Amino acid sequence: MSVARIKEEQGKIVIALEGEIDLENAGEVRKTLLNSLKQKKDLLIDLSAVSYIDSSGIASLVEGLQVARKQKNELSLVSVSIRALRVLELARLDRVFAIHADVATALAAKA
Amino acid sequence: MTTANLESGAESGTESGALNFAASLARSFAASLNVDATVKQALASIIQLLETEAGSLFLLDDSGAMLVCRASVGPVKIDGLSVPTGQGIVGRAVAEDRLVVVENAYEDKNFFKAADEKTGFVTRSVLCAPMRVGDKLIGAVQVLNKRSGHPFDGINGKDGNMLQVMANAAALAISNARLADQLVEQERIKRELELASEIQRSLLPLQDDDMPICGINRPIREVSGDFYDYFELPDGTIAFALGDVSGKGMNAALLMAKTASLFRCLGKTIRDPARLLSILNREICETTSRGMFVTMVAGLYEPSTGLLRYANAGHLPPLIKFPDQLYETVAPDAPPLGILRDMHFVDHEINLKGGLFVVFSDGLTEFRYGEEELGVDGLNLLLEYTHNGSLRGRLERVLAELDQGGWQAKDDLTLLAIDDHAAGKAWQREHAPALLAPAEADFLFGLSFPADPSRLKLMRPALEAAARACQFAEDEIHDLVLAAGEAIENIMIHAYGGQVKGEITLAVHRLPDGIMLRLRDFAPRVDTGKIEPRPLDEIRPGGLGTHFIRAIMDDASFIPLPDGEGNLLELVKRRRNAGDAPGNAGNPGAGGPDSKSGK
Repeated sequence: MSVARIKEEQGKIVIALEGEIDLENAGEVRKTLLNSLKQKKDLLIDLSAVSYIDSSGIASLVEGLQVARKQKNELSLVSVSIRALRVLELARLDRVFAIHADVATALAAKA
Repeated sequence: MTTANLESGAESGTESGALNFAASLARSFAASLNVDATVKQALASIIQLLETEAGSLFLLDDSGAMLVCRASVGPVKIDGLSVPTGQGIVGRAVAEDRLVVVENAYEDKNFFKAADEKTGFVTRSVLCAPMRVGDKLIGAVQVLNKRSGHPFDGINGKDGNMLQVMANAAALAISNARLADQLVEQERIKRELELASEIQRSLLPLQDDDMPICGINRPIREVSGDFYDYFELPDGTIAFALGDVSGKGMNAALLMAKTASLFRCLGKTIRDPARLLSILNREICETTSRGMFVTMVAGLYEPSTGLLRYANAGHLPPLIKFPDQLYETVAPDAPPLGILRDMHFVDHEINLKGGLFVVFSDGLTEFRYGEEELGVDGLNLLLEYTHNGSLRGRLERVLAELDQGGWQAKDDLTLLAIDDHAAGKAWQREHAPALLAPAEADFLFGLSFPADPSRLKLMRPALEAAARACQFAEDEIHDLVLAAGEAIENIMIHAYGGQVKGEITLAVHRLPDGIMLRLRDFAPRVDTGKIEPRPLDEIRPGGLGTHFIRAIMDDASFIPLPDGEGNLLELVKRRRNAGDAPGNAGNPGAGGPDSKSGK
């Protein structure tokens, strides 16, 4: 299971992913993000429990980001590990996503 | 024998007339060669001479326990009827090996009435004589109801004697016919074996004295269970194989022919001996009768460099003889082909450096002199003695030494030798890149798995451990595993189009300054012109992986493979601190005078 938990906090949906996200389960992540976005709320993706992510996983996040932007919602990443950040840097997406240290900080941040 | 004689003999009713008849009957029987015709003719003559209404002739079957009716004359046909020895009148005659006379059938408790009830025939009297050739009983002749209505003469009577004489004459004729049949069958088998032997010989490669490889095959019977083959690939590499099929005879010969043909076909496109054996193994497991297997060595030899890569499926270890050194052998690490369907074989790579590589069947090392076997030591000694001359001359001299020295061959003898010394002198370097790994690459491990994304997480820890073993720093290890994962995912998505059944292999080699990965798939060739990373401002999935690979790896290249053989991707990453020798990394104080830290 790559999606550990979905809950709502302060009107935003927090999706916690976990484990290794590669081609095997990236599809599941994508589906979860797109489903959640149907609620037309902002999304926070908690990556603290993700031990590995590659281009397939990143691609799912990117697709979520694109759909979110189209419907004027936000999608930000939370608790991105050094490894995951490296992958985002390689993809030059580290400046594209809003990245916060933890959920609290993300919720406090201004839109 | 004319009818006239027959009638005169019969009419005269004298014994001499009957004996003349019998003698001429015996002559004509001796000349006949067809068992069935002989049997029918014999019975007809007997019935006619003895003037009976009916009769039958029984022969013992192969088990000797049943009598089968091979001919019958009269109102009732009982051809094919079986009677156990000892039962009925005919069974008794054979079991007790004597003439049986039953003068009143219905009063004999042994008489089988049911047949009469079914057919309407009324048996009055029966006379039955066993048929004997020498001391061997082969059956019995039975006659029923003299036409005259009289009962048969008793045991020592005229009828009895005549029947016995005729029965024995018939036995002789039948025996001759059977022998003739057997001879024909043996001739046929012999001709078949000769043909099989010819076919096998035609499967052996043509000897070319310009090639640094030579093979010899000496079957001990017409058909051999051993084979060898070799041929040159377009870039000058020589593919070779030697195999030994279990068992003897036609079955072994057919399996040998199949294996040899499959090797020749697969060897033209598959550059990995371990993989070739794996495919061959699966094929043999699926289509060969149980219990048959093939031991085999298959390999690739590059005359231009002396590199040789081979895999061994349960065969005697090849002899590797370096100049001025003792010989080496490497024990096989996999069972023969045909035993386990999903078997992973291992490649061994060596550089012959002017030496000799000899593969042989146990027919060679089991050459016997009295109690002593030649063994590998003996072979090595012989190779030392016969040091000079052409490769073929050398091998032939080895065999000549054995033959002339009084050594006995015990089995099919097959051997295949590669002489790198000769190649070193004779061959020009060809242009094609060697598909054998460079000599300084140290093969760490290989993985083979289906193109199923669920396998990625199984591959990652192994590769991570390998990268650590190659002294990469932690962040480099993560990058390497990421790049490899991306490359594999690309294969799954693009080469196999999402089909999870395809096979992917990953070979990991340690380099002095880093690591080399070789990824193989077996899908139709990918047009490398189409693989370009997407520009990053197009934020879209796909293409991103390729970008990762090129950003992380130092070299990433497709090595073109012959059609139908899939794709090979070679990825190389060098350590950031590659100036240090392995073992010194991360230990700056211990570095030697040439070590550098950082690039």
